[in-house]
Amino acid sequence: MRGRRLLANGLAYLILTAVSLVLVFPFAWMLSGAFKDSLEVVKMPPTLLPSHWNFDNFARIEQYFPLYRFLLNSAVVAVATTALQLLVCTMSAYAFAKIPFKGRQGVFLLFLTTMMIPAQVTLVPLFILFSKTNLIDTYAGLILPGIFSAYGTFLIRQHMLTIPNELLEAAFMDGASYYRVFRSVVVPLVKPTVAALTIFAFMGSWNNFLWPLIAVNSKELMTLPLGLSKLQGRWSTEWDILMAGNVVSFVPIFLVYLVSQRYFIKGMTMTGIK
Amino acid sequence: MVGQRQWNRRIAAFVFLLPALLGLLAFQLLPMMSSVVISFTDWDLLTNWTKMHFVGWSNYAEVFREEKSYTAIKNVFVFLIGYMPSLAVLGVFLAVLLNRSLPGIKAYRAAVFVPVITSWVAVSIVWRWILNGQSGLLNYLLSRIGIQGPIWLQDDTWAMVAIIAVTVWKDLGFVALILLAGLQDISEDYYEAAELDGASAWRKLWSVTLPMLSPTLYFVVTISLINSFQLFDQVLIMTNGGPAGATSTIVEQVYKNAFQFNKMGFAAAQSWVLFAIILAVTMLLQRLQRRWVIYER
Amino acid sequence: MFRKCGAILLVIGMFALGACGSGKGNDASGSASDTASASPSAASSASPSASSEAPKESVTIKLLMYTPSGGQEETVKAMVEAFEAANADVKVDYEVVPYADYGTKLNTLLSSGSAPDLFEVGYENFRTYAAKDLLLDLTPTIAADTSFKPDVYKKLAYDAFNYNGKQMGVTESFSDVVLFYNKDLFDAKGVKYPDASWTWKEELDAAQKLTDAKNGIWGTYAPIQFYEFYKTIAQNGGGVWDAGGKPTIGSKANVDALQWMIDKASKYKVSPALNDDTFNQPDADLNAFAAGKLAMARFGIWNFGKFATEAKFNWEIALEPGNTQKAHHFFADGLVASRDTKHAEAAWRFMKFFTSDPAAVGKRIEAGWSVPAVADDAVMDAYYKQTPPASKKIVTEALDSLVLPPVGPKPEKWGEFTAAVGEELDKAKLGRSTAQEALDAAQKKVKELLSK
Repeated sequence: MRGRRLLANGLAYLILTAVSLVLVFPFAWMLSGAFKDSLEVVKMPPTLLPSHWNFDNFARIEQYFPLYRFLLNSAVVAVATTALQLLVCTMSAYAFAKIPFKGRQGVFLLFLTTMMIPAQVTLVPLFILFSKTNLIDTYAGLILPGIFSAYGTFLIRQHMLTIPNELLEAAFMDGASYYRVFRSVVVPLVKPTVAALTIFAFMGSWNNFLWPLIAVNSKELMTLPLGLSKLQGRWSTEWDILMAGNVVSFVPIFLVYLVSQRYFIKGMTMTGIK
Repeated sequence: MVGQRQWNRRIAAFVFLLPALLGLLAFQLLPMMSSVVISFTDWDLLTNWTKMHFVGWSNYAEVFREEKSYTAIKNVFVFLIGYMPSLAVLGVFLAVLLNRSLPGIKAYRAAVFVPVITSWVAVSIVWRWILNGQSGLLNYLLSRIGIQGPIWLQDDTWAMVAIIAVTVWKDLGFVALILLAGLQDISEDYYEAAELDGASAWRKLWSVTLPMLSPTLYFVVTISLINSFQLFDQVLIMTNGGPAGATSTIVEQVYKNAFQFNKMGFAAAQSWVLFAIILAVTMLLQRLQRRWVIYER
Repeated sequence: MFRKCGAILLVIGMFALGACGSGKGNDASGSASDTASASPSAASSASPSASSEAPKESVTIKLLMYTPSGGQEETVKAMVEAFEAANADVKVDYEVVPYADYGTKLNTLLSSGSAPDLFEVGYENFRTYAAKDLLLDLTPTIAADTSFKPDVYKKLAYDAFNYNGKQMGVTESFSDVVLFYNKDLFDAKGVKYPDASWTWKEELDAAQKLTDAKNGIWGTYAPIQFYEFYKTIAQNGGGVWDAGGKPTIGSKANVDALQWMIDKASKYKVSPALNDDTFNQPDADLNAFAAGKLAMARFGIWNFGKFATEAKFNWEIALEPGNTQKAHHFFADGLVASRDTKHAEAAWRFMKFFTSDPAAVGKRIEAGWSVPAVADDAVMDAYYKQTPPASKKIVTEALDSLVLPPVGPKPEKWGEFTAAVGEELDKAKLGRSTAQEALDAAQKKVKELLSK
C-alpha cells in the first residue's frame, strides 16, 4: 500500500513538473526578455538567457509614462472593483441559489444573457451614459462598470447550490434570519470559490484596457494597461521595455493569487487522495 | 406563520438581489437595449449618435448575405470543438493532481496559473517564435521525431489549430483553479466509503469526483462556451483574422466593423445574431444539465 | 469574514466620497470652460468684438494625438509649453493614444458628441472625417489671417488636407518609403550602387548577384501586403481606380506587378521564400537589414534612427526602382479641428504654431520624431544634417513621384476596402490563387463594397 502511494506520488510529481514547465516556459521567456536589450529581444532564433543582463529596461519605462502613478491608479481601481464585486456577487448568488422566489430562473437567465453580447457594441452606449452623468474621467467611472459581473454571480451560485438545504433549514429552525444564514452558514462554506473570484475580479480589473481607454482622458487617472500600450509606437514597438512593463504588471496579480491560495486548504489536503 | 415566512423570503430575495439588479440594469441591460436600437440603424460611429438613421432589417439581411459571416461562424465552431473538450479534460486532470497534498504543491499551483496572468501582447511574441515555420521551437521538436511541421500561423489550415493550442495553454490554469476550488469541497467521507467498497482510483473518479464536481464542471463548460463564441484578443494579436480569413471570428469582425470600417449598425446586428447563437446553445446546455449535473448531495 | 465586510463598506464609503469630490471638481471645471466658451461663440457672430474680447479669458483646447505614442510625449509637452508661453490665454490639454487604439477612442468621442477641439489624422482617414462633415472648414479663418502664408508648407502636403476646395486641416509631418541598401554588401560583390536611373530590371540583376542563400543574405526585400501593392502597381503604370473612380484592380498592369512581387521570391529567389514566415515576426525585416542580411529593402524613412544606431555597416538610401515609371509612398499627418469646437480661433493659433513655427519644428527634428512638412530649406537643413544617410535629400526627391493612398470614391470604406484586397493578396502569397485570380476576386469584392 505504501509503495503504491509512493509510486503514485512520484508519478504525480513527474506529470505536474512536465505540465508546469510547458505552461511557464513562454512566461520565462518574457521574463528573460525584460532583461535583454532591444536587439536581442527580437533576435531570431531567440536566446534563452540575456547575453548580458540589462536592468535599464525597468527604469526606462518611466520615459514613456509615469509608472508609479499608473500603478497606484490600477491598484485603487482593482481593489475597489474586487471588493464591491465580491459583495454584489455573493449576495445575488445567495438569492439565486438559496432563496426560492417566483421567476428566479428567468431573472437568472437574464443575468447570463449579459455575458453573451460582445462588449465592443455596448461600449459606446455605456460611454454615452457615463458622459451624460459626468462620470467620465473619474475613479467612479472606472470602477462602476466592473462591479456587476454575471460571471461572478454564476460562479458562486454554482457552488452555493451544492450546500445541502438541511444545513440552512437547521439554522432557520434556530431562528436565524436570511442575513444570518448568509453570513455565518453560506459564505464560510463557499470561501474557496470566493477566493477564486477574488483573483478573477482583480485580474479582470487590472488588465482591463478597452473601457479605461475611452473612459479616461487625464493622466492622473490612467491605469497600467493604458501605460503599457504607450510603449507601442505607430511604426515600431520597444519590445524590451514592453516585456519589462508586462513583468511589472504581472507581479501584483500574482501576489493576489498567492494570497488567495491560502483559502484553498480544506478537505482533501488534510489526508490527500489515497 | 407560513405567510410571514413567505413574506420574509420575498423581502430577502429582493434585498440580496437589489444591488446586482440595479447595476445590471444600468450598466448592462441599458447599453444592450441601445445596441438593439443601433442594430436597426446605419450608424457609422462618426456621426453624432442623435443623428442616426433607421434602416429597418437591412443590417440583419446583410449579416446573412455576407459570406464572411458564415466563415466566422464556422471558424468559431471549429475552435469550440477543439478547445472545449481539451480544456475540460485537461482541466479535470490537472485539478485532481493539484488537489493532492504533496509537499511543494503550492508551487505547482502557482506555476500553472502563470499563463492566465501573462498578457497576450507580451507573450504573443514568444508564441510567434515557438510557432514559426522555419526556425520555431515547435517545428524543431517535431523534426526530431521526423515530422515536417507547417508554418502554423501563416497557413490557412493550421492557423486555427495553433490558436486553439495557444488558448488552451492560456486558459488551462484558470479552469484548473476553478475545478480545484470545487474539489476542495468534496468530503473525504465519500472517498472512504468508496474505498470500503473496494473501488479503484478510476472508479472513484467516475463515481465520486466527477458527479460531485459536476456543478463546477457545468460552470466551466458554460463559460468556455461563451468565451469560445467571443474569441477575439488572441486572434487579433496573433493572426489579425488571417491568413486569408482563416481565423476570422465573429467578435473580430464586430470589432473591425464597429471601430475600423465605420459600420457600427452592422456590428450591432452581427452581435445580436451571435447572441442568438450563444443563447440557443446555452439553453441546450441548460436542458442537458439535468442529465449530468448533480446539485444535491 | 464580517469584519472584512466592514472594511469593504468603509472602502465603498470612501469611494462614494471620492466620486462626489471628483464629481464636484468636474462640475467646477465644466462650468469654467462653459463660461469661457460662451463668450467667443456668442461673439463670433459679431466678429469685430471677438478678437478684442477673446484674449481676456483663458480657454482650454483639447488635443488628441497618436504620433507621439512610443516615447515622444515629452517633445509634445515641450512644444505645448512653448506655445502656452507665447499665448497666455490658451491652455492646451493634450492626450496621446497609441495608433492601434486611436480610431476606437476618437470615433467614440466624435460620435458621442464629446469631440476634442483638435485632433490628429492621417491623410486616408482625413478624407473620411471630411466627407462625414465632422471637421471645421478653415478656409475663412485662413483668409482672415493676414500673418499666415500657406507656402510655408510643402504644397503637396498642405493640399493633402484640402477636401473639395475647402482647407480642413493643416499638415504636420510627412513620410515616405525609399530603397535602403547595404553598401558593404554591394562593395563585397563589386556591384554598382542603385541610382535614380534604376528600374526593376537593374534591381533584379543586382539582387541576383547579391543574394547568398547559403548565408541567408537576400538581394532585395519588400513585403506582400496592401500598402506595398498599391505603390508597386503604380510603378508599373497601374492603379486601383480609374479617373472616374471605378475600380481597376484586375488590370494587366496590376496583375503583372503582383506577379513581379511574387516572382522575386518564388521564381528568381532573390527574396525570402513566401512560406518563410520568419519575416512575419515583429520587425523581423528591419532587424534582418540591421543585421546585414538584406542587400536592398524598401523601408519607411522613419527607420533612419533605428539603423543609425543598430546597423554596424555602411548603408545609404536611393529612389525606388520602378518599372515603367517611378512611384513612392507618401503619408501625411495633420491637425484638424472639430466642427463643433467652441474655440476655433485659439485652435487655429495652435495649429499654425504646432505645424510651422520654427520653435516647434526645431523640437520635432531635434527629437528625431518625424519630418516636418515645411517648405523652408533653412529649417529643413537641420533635418538633412542628421546622418546617416548622407543622401537624405532623397526623402524630398521621392515626393516628385508620390502616390497618395488610393482612398477612392467612398473614403469611409477605406478600412474595409484595404482589408478585402489584403485578404486576396494573402491568398496569392500562400499560393491558393494566381495573381490574376486574386486580383479578379479583389476587383469583385471592391465593386460590391462600392455598390452598398
